[in-house]
This record gives sequence, C-alpha cells and structure tokens, in this order.
Amino acid sequence: MSELNMAVIKPEMMKSYIWIETADGSLQQVEQEVAMFCPLICHEVIQKGMGSSKNHAISLPQRVNPAMLSLMLDYCRFHQVPGHSNKERKSFDEKFIRMDTKRLCELTSAADSLQLKPLVDLTSRALARIIEGKTPEEIREIFHLPDDLTEEEKLEPLKNITDDPRIRLLNRLYAKKRKELKERERIKNVEAEEERVDDRSVDDLLSFINGEDSKGIKPSKNKKKNRRKKDQQKNTSPSEVIEINEQSNGLKVSDLGETSEKQDVTDEMFASKPEFDDGDVDDEIDPALKEKIDREVEDFARRLNSDWPERMQEILSFGQDMKVQHHSSNGNGTIKKYSDNQIRSRNNYYPSNWPYGWNNFDRMLMQSV
Amino acid sequence: MKMGDVAALDLISDLPQSIIEIIFTYLPIRDAVRTSMLSTKWRYRWATLTELVFDGTCVTLCNDRALVEKSIVNFITRTLFLHQGPIHKFQLSTTYLQCCPDIDQWLLFLSRNDIKELILELGEGEWFRVPSCLFNCKKLTRLELHRCEFDPPPNFKGFSSLRSLNLHQVLVAPEAIESLISSCPALESLSLTYSDSLDLNINAPNLKYLYLEGEFKDVCLENTPLLVEISVAMYMTDDIAEHFEQSSSCNFIKFLGGVPLLNKLVGYIYFTKYLSIGADPGRLPITYSQLKIIELHQVSFEDMKEIMVVIRLITNSPILTELKVSGSSNSLAATEEEYDLDLWEKECPSDCSFNHLKFVKMTDIAGVPHEMELIKFLLKNSPVLETMSITPCVFLKDRKLSMLIELVRFRRASDQAEIVFVQN
Repeated sequence: MSELNMAVIKPEMMKSYIWIETADGSLQQVEQEVAMFCPLICHEVIQKGMGSSKNHAISLPQRVNPAMLSLMLDYCRFHQVPGHSNKERKSFDEKFIRMDTKRLCELTSAADSLQLKPLVDLTSRALARIIEGKTPEEIREIFHLPDDLTEEEKLEPLKNITDDPRIRLLNRLYAKKRKELKERERIKNVEAEEERVDDRSVDDLLSFINGEDSKGIKPSKNKKKNRRKKDQQKNTSPSEVIEINEQSNGLKVSDLGETSEKQDVTDEMFASKPEFDDGDVDDEIDPALKEKIDREVEDFARRLNSDWPERMQEILSFGQDMKVQHHSSNGNGTIKKYSDNQIRSRNNYYPSNWPYGWNNFDRMLMQSV
Repeated sequence: MKMGDVAALDLISDLPQSIIEIIFTYLPIRDAVRTSMLSTKWRYRWATLTELVFDGTCVTLCNDRALVEKSIVNFITRTLFLHQGPIHKFQLSTTYLQCCPDIDQWLLFLSRNDIKELILELGEGEWFRVPSCLFNCKKLTRLELHRCEFDPPPNFKGFSSLRSLNLHQVLVAPEAIESLISSCPALESLSLTYSDSLDLNINAPNLKYLYLEGEFKDVCLENTPLLVEISVAMYMTDDIAEHFEQSSSCNFIKFLGGVPLLNKLVGYIYFTKYLSIGADPGRLPITYSQLKIIELHQVSFEDMKEIMVVIRLITNSPILTELKVSGSSNSLAATEEEYDLDLWEKECPSDCSFNHLKFVKMTDIAGVPHEMELIKFLLKNSPVLETMSITPCVFLKDRKLSMLIELVRFRRASDQAEIVFVQN
C-alpha cells in the first residue's frame, strides 16, 4: 500500500521549482520547465546554480514586475509544451497580446530583459500594428509622447509624404494656428503688465515710422486682402503681421516685436488701420505704380511666409527674454545690447535680395521694445 | 498612481534601441519615417534602420501612373538621403517602377553602404539592366532579381559571401550563370525561374536548396554534395524534346547521381520524363539514405521509363516517409495495349519494404493499370502506412467504380492504413 502511495506522490515530487525574486523583493516559486524557457533564468540556473532555494533566489532585472512576470510565465507555460501545433500557438499568441498599450510596452521591456526573444518579437509586432497607419497626433496620444518638436521641425517638407504643396500649406497653417493658440494663453497671463509697455513703444514707433516713410509701400489692395485673410484665419497673426509690415505706415510693424505677447493689441491696431491708411494711400501713389507695388508686396509676403516659422521662433524667444529683461532692469543699456545681438543673429535669416529697408525696421523694433 | 498623472509617462520612447528597431522592422517604411514627427526622442530614430523595404505602400496611389512613379522615386531618394549608417537590406518590390535611371543611382549608393541583401522586383515592361556597381557589392549575401537584365563584367570574380541567389525572369547568358554559380563558393540556396533554355552545369559545393523552373535544355548537378532539397518544374518545348531524343547520357544519374544527403525531392510537369531520358541506370549505385519526401507530379504511367524512374527512386530511399504522385492527363487515352505488369516483380526487390512510409497521396489517377500496380505495391510493402489518399482524375466518370473494386482487393501490410478515396 505504501508503494502505491509512493507511486501517486512521485510525479508531484518530480516537478522541481525555482525560486525567483522580483525587483520589489517578493519571492515566488515557479515550475522549473516553465521558467527555463526564459534564457536569462536558464543561464542563471545552469551557469550559476541559482534558484534552488529561497536564499539563492534568482533576482530578476528591474523592468520585470510581478504582474509582467506572471504574464510571461503564462506565455512560457503554453509554449514550452512541445505538443501544440503551429496553429494553436498562433491563436494563443493572438489572444495573449490583447491588452492595453501600457501593459504591452511594459511586457516588451520585461521580455527583453529576460531575453525572451519570441515574446519580444510578438509584442513588438503588436506595437508596430498599433503605430501603423496613424497620424502623429494619434500616436502621441496613445503613447503619451511629449509634443516637443518645434514648428519648424514639424514642417520640414521632407516629412510630407504626399509631396502635395497644398498639404504643405495646410500643415503650415495648422501649425500657425496651434502656435497662436499657445501664444494667446501666454498672453493672457501677462497681459496686464504689457499694456503700458505697448502704448509707449507704439507711440515711439509711430513717430519714427512716419518720418521713415520712404518705401512708399502702401497697397490698398493688400488692405483688402488683409481684411479677407483676417476673416478667414482669424488666428493666423503672422500673415496679418506680414501684411501689416508692408504698410509703410507700419503701425503693425511695431507689433512685430510684441506680437508674441499682444495679439489683442495687434487686432486693435488692425482694426484701426483702415481709417489711418486710407488717407495716405489715396493721396500719394498713382494707380500704375500702386499695382506694381502691390505685386511686389505680394511676392514679399509669400517669401516672408515661407521663412516665417523660423522668424517667429526667434521673435517669440527673443520677445519673452526681452520681457524679462525689461522688468528686471530699468535702464535701456541692457536692452540695447540685447537688441544688437539679436539683430546680428536675425540678420542671418535675411536672404540677400531683400530690400535693405527691412534691416532698419528690425533694428528699430528691437530698440523700441 | 499609474494613470492620471498630469504629465503621463511616456510609454514607449525609453525602450531599448534594439526593441525600437524590431518595431521599425515590422512597420512599413512610410510609417517608420513618419515617426520622426512624434517627438524629439523619435527624431530621425528611424534613420539607422538597416533594413529598408520599399513597395507600393510607400506612397498614396492614384490613377496617374506617372505621378505614382515620380512620388515613389522621390520618396526612396529622400529616404536614402536622410538615412544614416549602413544599409544591410534593400528591397524594392513595386510594379510601378520599371527601367528607371534613379535605380542605378540607388544601387550605387547602396554599393557604398555595405549592402548585404538586395531584392529588386520591378514591373513588366522594359526590363531593368543591372548596373555594374552591383557587382562591386562585396558583402552581398542575398541577391534576388525579377525582370532584369543581368550581365556580369568579364573580370567579375564572384560574390564571395553570397548565400542565396534568386533569379526570376532574368535575361542572362547561360555561361554567365554557370560562372556566377561556380564563383560563389558560399552559395547555399539557388533559385532560377523562367530563364529560358538553359544548359546548366551546377558546381556549388555548399548548395543546399535548389529550385528550378523553366525550360531547361540540360541540367547537370556536377558538384552538389550537400544538396538537401530539390524542386524542379521542367517545361518542354519541341526543340528541347528533340534534343533529348538524341541524348545518350543518363539523365537520372546526371541529376540525382551526386546528392547523397537529399531530404526532399519535388518534380513537376516534365521532370520525371526528363529523368527517364537516357540509358537505363540499372540498379542505382547510390542510396538516398536521407530522402524522406518525394513528390512527383504529372507522371505518365503509360511510359515505362517514367515508371522505372519512380520505382528506382522509391526503392532506393530506405527512410521514405511521404510520397505524393500525380498522374498525367495523358493517361486518359486508355488503350488496349499489353501492359507489362511483370515489370513490378522484375525490378523491385522482393524483400522491399517501406518501413517508414506513412503518407501516400495519389492524385489525378485515371485507373491505368500501372497506377493500380503502384498502389498495390505500396500497400503491400508499407507496414507503418497510415493514410493512402487517392483522388481520381476529374474526367473519370465511369471507371471510378471499377477502380474502387480493384482497390478494395489489395492486400495491406499495415493494419492502420486508411484508404481515402477523395470525391470531387
């Protein structure tokens, strides 16, 4: 009878267990044949003789937490049995990887640290399937990726797979919109303190500009365009500002430096522009010249447009810094110094065939802020 | 604790680069390139990919063929330009590109970048002429060309690391192929399809897998001692048939005389006929001690010589496990000829026993006497047979019953044998 008992008990005792310790310190026993399916554990057992007792438990790398360990052991438990057909294994795999993205990523990491290559391949393929066909925004949302590329980088035409100029333009507009929204937020935070600064600088500029009125670029056509554009893309200030720039009465030019902070002011200015300009425009330029100038300015706008994202970056970063500077120091000395540096770097953006007058404007802008 | 943080943790960007690369290999190239737009950590992370696979999914397709071609070319050129580091695998499989000067430039770029695996699968139309820079790719291990013109320069010394060669519908001079094969000592897998009228002497000491399809005048496996798997689909034109009439050498020995390690043999169309041509080898000098699987399709059971080929093969394969034979539709014309049924007793050793044969599948059986003899022979001498599956020829209407009656009488050596008569 005792022999019979022995016969019954024996199979159980034959199964050997391995002690495993996860990074959080918890210990558990795992059937040997299941655990040995993982190359890392296998190595530890064979080469180092670990895992035979509680004290000599195999400590797993940090990326393997108990939840992941149990998932991986489920995987090993199924696949280490030689009897399953390929079809069965495939359907097991399909069901196995149905989990949320976070767990999938953790599992990939854990499988990699245990060198369980078939599972790494399986999870990687699942992750690839998730990424495939989705837009960058969707992917960022799924994986919680930070949206920390600059607009310039995002707009690099090489990334535009379809190569359609309309899509490129659209991307740019969207980017500008996003930027505007961001800036509006920032403006709201510092609005109160800026207004005073703005008024002063605008007045200064006005007087300066009126004296500087040499280019004669006063396209009435552009005005209309501006208004139209304003209606269409209310948030796209760069285009507005560009049109504004072209006005030699450049009220808006003054806003170039402050655009980053004061959209509201810009809008105000824009609103007041028609009244301001009409008088000047009608008086001084004859129609033929006006048309020529209009065309020039349109070209200009387009060129500016293409460079605008970089310039905006510069302006924004500069503008922010300037703000800080202004508040902290009372004198103009520091500000002027800043502006010189800024001008030097910003001049690098200027294509050589730009009208020379632009340099003056910039310098003036920097000084005024 | 885990979710719902204000700054939710990035799930994926911090995975080890090796895993990211695996993910990239499972992504179509277009999606991989787009990951550059995700975040700073992903910027140009794809650019170190060593495997680039371009196909029709790279660009959005539309009806304007020229536009699609232009955008594919654009995409590939830009991707190569942005890429950093070595490129080990380059695959171009698209019917939208045919002969295109940009491909030459890409190949030149690749030849400077340690390319190891090159697959070019281009569209119908004008075939692409492979530029000479391809022959400068010293590290090439795998070459696959579809619909190209292949013309090695005279001083070409071969690819010393080439392990796999696959030429499909490639215009190449027969001598060029022969010398290419013999100058690639590491060649393990060779596939030649639809390269017409070749007269081949294959000298490849490391060759393990051979796959041939097309019209061959003559194939001689001169030096292929390590060959493990052979699959041949041999088409025949009239001139080739004529040529065969006049040949005196024994094709069987020429082809299967030097492959002692053969594990699997598959033949289609006229392969068995090809083997049957020439002098009768008599008792074969070699035993295929590793041959487990034999598949011979379109065997004409009215041609004594072809039947002999089958008999010789199966009786010289002691560990044969799986046998598939399909009849030729020529057998339909059931003539009243005298069938030399004694053949079976004469040629097969009386103690012949297929001790490992488990699965037999006979298809397109017309009930021709020799077919039935073969089935009878197999059933009688296969002690471990599990399944004998018989699929009659589709045109056979009235003879099915008589075939079945005959089948039922056959003695079976294996008590587990199941005879499955497949109804269409």
